[in-house]
Amino acid sequence: MAAVDLAPAEIQVLQVLTIVIFAPLVSGGIAHLEARVQGRRGPRILQPYYDLAKLFRKETLVPDEASWVFAVGPMLAFTCYLVVPLLIPVLTTYPLPLGYMGDILGGGFILGLAGFSVAVAAAETGGPYAQLGSSRAMTFGALIEPSILFITFTVALVTTTDLPYFEAAAARASLSQVVRPAHLLAGLAFFLVVLSDTGRIPVETHASTLEFGMIDEARTLEHSGPLFALLKWGSAMKQLILYVLLINVFVAPWGLAGSRSLGAVLLAIPALLLKAFGVGVVFTGIDNSFSKLRLFKITEFMAAAFLLAILAVLVLYLGGG
Amino acid sequence: MGWDLLVVLIAPFVVAVVCWWAPVAVGRALTVASGALTFVLAVLLVPAATTMAAGGWLRADALSVVFLVAVAFLYATTALFAVGYVQPAGDIDTAARYNRRFFAGLNLFAWSMAMAPVVNGFALLWVAIEVTTVISALLVAIDDTDGATEAAWKYVLIASMGLGIALLATIVMYYAGSSVFGGAYDLFYPKLLGAAGQFPAEVVRLSFVLAVLGYGTKMGLVPVHTWLPDAHSEAPTPISALLSGSLLAVSFYAILRFYQVTVRAVGPAFPRNVLLAFGLASLALGALYLASQRDLKRLFAYSSVEHMGILAIGMSFAAPIAVVGVLLHVLAHAAAKGTAFFGAGSVVRKFGTKDMDRIRGGVGALPWSGPMLVLAVLALCALPPFGIFRSEFLIVSGGLSDPRDAIAAVLVVLVTLATLGITWFSSQTMLTPDPLPDGTTSGETSAWIVAAMAVGLVALTVLGVHPPGQLSDLLTRAAHELGTGS
Amino acid sequence: MPLTLLAAASPPPVPSTVSGVSEAIALVVLLTEFAMLRAPLSRSQIRLYAFQSLAVSALAVFVAATQHVPELYVLAALSFGLKVVVVPAIVLRLLRDARVDLAASNRLGVASMVLLAIAISVFGFFVVGSLPVHSRSLPTPALGMAAAVILVAFLLVILRSDVVSQAVGFFSLENGVSVASLVVAAGLPLIVEVAFLFDLLVAVVVFGVLMRVHHGRTQTLSTDVLDRLRG
Repeated sequence: MAAVDLAPAEIQVLQVLTIVIFAPLVSGGIAHLEARVQGRRGPRILQPYYDLAKLFRKETLVPDEASWVFAVGPMLAFTCYLVVPLLIPVLTTYPLPLGYMGDILGGGFILGLAGFSVAVAAAETGGPYAQLGSSRAMTFGALIEPSILFITFTVALVTTTDLPYFEAAAARASLSQVVRPAHLLAGLAFFLVVLSDTGRIPVETHASTLEFGMIDEARTLEHSGPLFALLKWGSAMKQLILYVLLINVFVAPWGLAGSRSLGAVLLAIPALLLKAFGVGVVFTGIDNSFSKLRLFKITEFMAAAFLLAILAVLVLYLGGG
Repeated sequence: MGWDLLVVLIAPFVVAVVCWWAPVAVGRALTVASGALTFVLAVLLVPAATTMAAGGWLRADALSVVFLVAVAFLYATTALFAVGYVQPAGDIDTAARYNRRFFAGLNLFAWSMAMAPVVNGFALLWVAIEVTTVISALLVAIDDTDGATEAAWKYVLIASMGLGIALLATIVMYYAGSSVFGGAYDLFYPKLLGAAGQFPAEVVRLSFVLAVLGYGTKMGLVPVHTWLPDAHSEAPTPISALLSGSLLAVSFYAILRFYQVTVRAVGPAFPRNVLLAFGLASLALGALYLASQRDLKRLFAYSSVEHMGILAIGMSFAAPIAVVGVLLHVLAHAAAKGTAFFGAGSVVRKFGTKDMDRIRGGVGALPWSGPMLVLAVLALCALPPFGIFRSEFLIVSGGLSDPRDAIAAVLVVLVTLATLGITWFSSQTMLTPDPLPDGTTSGETSAWIVAAMAVGLVALTVLGVHPPGQLSDLLTRAAHELGTGS
Repeated sequence: MPLTLLAAASPPPVPSTVSGVSEAIALVVLLTEFAMLRAPLSRSQIRLYAFQSLAVSALAVFVAATQHVPELYVLAALSFGLKVVVVPAIVLRLLRDARVDLAASNRLGVASMVLLAIAISVFGFFVVGSLPVHSRSLPTPALGMAAAVILVAFLLVILRSDVVSQAVGFFSLENGVSVASLVVAAGLPLIVEVAFLFDLLVAVVVFGVLMRVHHGRTQTLSTDVLDRLRG
């Protein structure tokens, strides 16, 4: 069979579609695994798809005080989550045409815009839990920002650009690149950032909505119907995007398609899902080993992430790290 | 002629071990004998040229002998004083145990302080000073009181952290040397001094600053002196005398060794400025704190801080006469501070308290040690004809011939301030004609104490009026070693 | 390909695998020091110290293997025995006898302490960066990390108010100095290194004795009661 080459634009669309289609699968798989580890039967792996289908059929209830922002927020967030996969190495080792549209900082801004629009949509409903959730989310999001910045600086110092493709290429280049402290520190710091941004232990209990500790879960309490479906889907996509960044840039940038052939690109999809599931296994282990931090102690967690990120930069500054 | 160094190495240690097991009277006698022997040996080393022993591990040049004499003298007089002073309360067994531990510790402490000037090399120097720290920390805590416990913990913690920095300084100095000598070599002094001119300047500067910070912690330089007033006031008085008179001097010796190498590597300006900064701070703070003391021994502790400041400032003057003054000051301060602490011990024995507000009419109560204490305090204030007058005179005259002569003026002002603080005490507690508190009769508590103080004052007078020719010679040679000469 | 076109400015040289691994081990030492800032229980502090000493011994073995300095094997073995086994045993036994285990004894909150420690470490890194240090045995960032360990150890002693934390702070200062000596003085004669280690042992014994005296006197391990002597 002759190798079929895909056009770069097609690969780009395929990247977005991968994230969109398979995000709920990853979510469901992790939830199922977590339940199994805890000794329960757990939901079906495809459960999130059924949930989304059900939600799209339901009606939307809008609070009296809400305005157009209430509806626009989830849609804007979903659009942002559609844009980000264009910029990051999801399936391929080489940058795609639109990949130069934004670097890590640009991707970070777009993700931040998504989070902001969800928070605003929640805050302007006037519901107490939604406002609680959005204010907490914004605060802790601000606290984790310095760490993300310093991780970006580390990537920039190592590869002289801050496009994620080059960091991945550098990591693939030789063993010495993987072992160097800056890479390890930045990877570890980003791991903590992902823990924080996807709302997992020790920052937030992913599985329930406890009033004392919920941050991201609270923001979506006022939405219903298709808007709620978009929010859930978007949050699953955000989770997969962050996993992709963690895996394909820092931890395990192997298994990506090196060429444009259809076979290589299609093989990259299950490779990605396997790796994402592996990250999910690690997160499940953390979930079941540690307890959630009390809210005011989350600053300790942020400080630890910041420490790792800044050490990465310092080690590079002295030359050779 | 290395045998005397070996005897100095072995004798006090052996005596310490014997004191632990032997009956108390034997221990006391041996301590006095050992002190006298060490002093005699040190004096015998005065006219000698550089002595080596034990295959090069021990080395006594002029600078070492100066400090060895200071340590040995105070060892001998403190032994005398301790025999008269140490009378522990409690039943026979407790008292005997305390006695044995105390005298064993005293000998061990003096042994470690005698070691530091005569070992060869920066590494062994660090080891010796670390040994002095651990032994003295245990001795500070030997009187089981709240104050002693607190002082001992502060002392061991702060001094050990300082010595950690000093270890880093030693390692950095090793690195400076490794640029000339390669990867593996030992840190003996003659080797480093010979090649110091080729060491990288930045590294040596860092090493010197770390050494001043680290060993300065043990010397009592401000701002790392915070353990000093507590430890010197809460320790048993013989130990306080040794701490103030000898241990601070030995730590200064360590800084001087680093100074020797640094001067040859980067020139005299940088180390002098560093020492000047710390010296001025110590002198100023010591003088200021002196005025507000209520505790007798704490007063003398701050006076030690002040005098260490004077030593550091003296080293920062360019004239060689100032360096001679500094070395003479080391000897004179040992004698004077020792005598002052002996007198304080006598007063505390008599009146039962260290609180100066409750002590009145000291001269009346203690017909011998009282006036001698007053003389010792005046000697500390640089009154002629005592040794400290001569040494401070040399320092100030060296300072006045320095281009930055304003510093000498500041020194004189601050010393005057300190004088005011400390003579206030002596007039308040000792010279008032108040009647004695109930229950105290006039008379000495022990002849040994009087004897120790008398020896100290005689030594001070000799140093002030006419130092022996060989001693002056030794001081000049040591000053020459410290300068940019060989 | 765009990859080569974009990488116009040449990236800084990559360290070799060997120096990368050794830096990573030195990094573990530094991170353990930071973890001590957070550890609330005295027991966990001592375990962290034991782990840090293990990392230092591993670093010594690594330097011995890659730089062919066989004396360092002996040193690594001795420091393992002393700092990983003996010293924690002494302090843990004191804790057992004292039957006291303090919860947090920090003077500041943990996040503030970490930020302060980061600021100090940055200072340490900059100071080391300005020195002309070129070592054959370990790369320069390891010296920066050693300086940071020393400075954070000082912070630990200053900002904690119980004797065990302060003692562990002092011990970890010695660890930092050991790492620094591995960087710049790997060839220090063995007898000197052994002398340093035994001196440390004696110091540890004295620390233990004084901690017991303190506990016997004040019935607590906190240093807040040490406020009689002022001025």
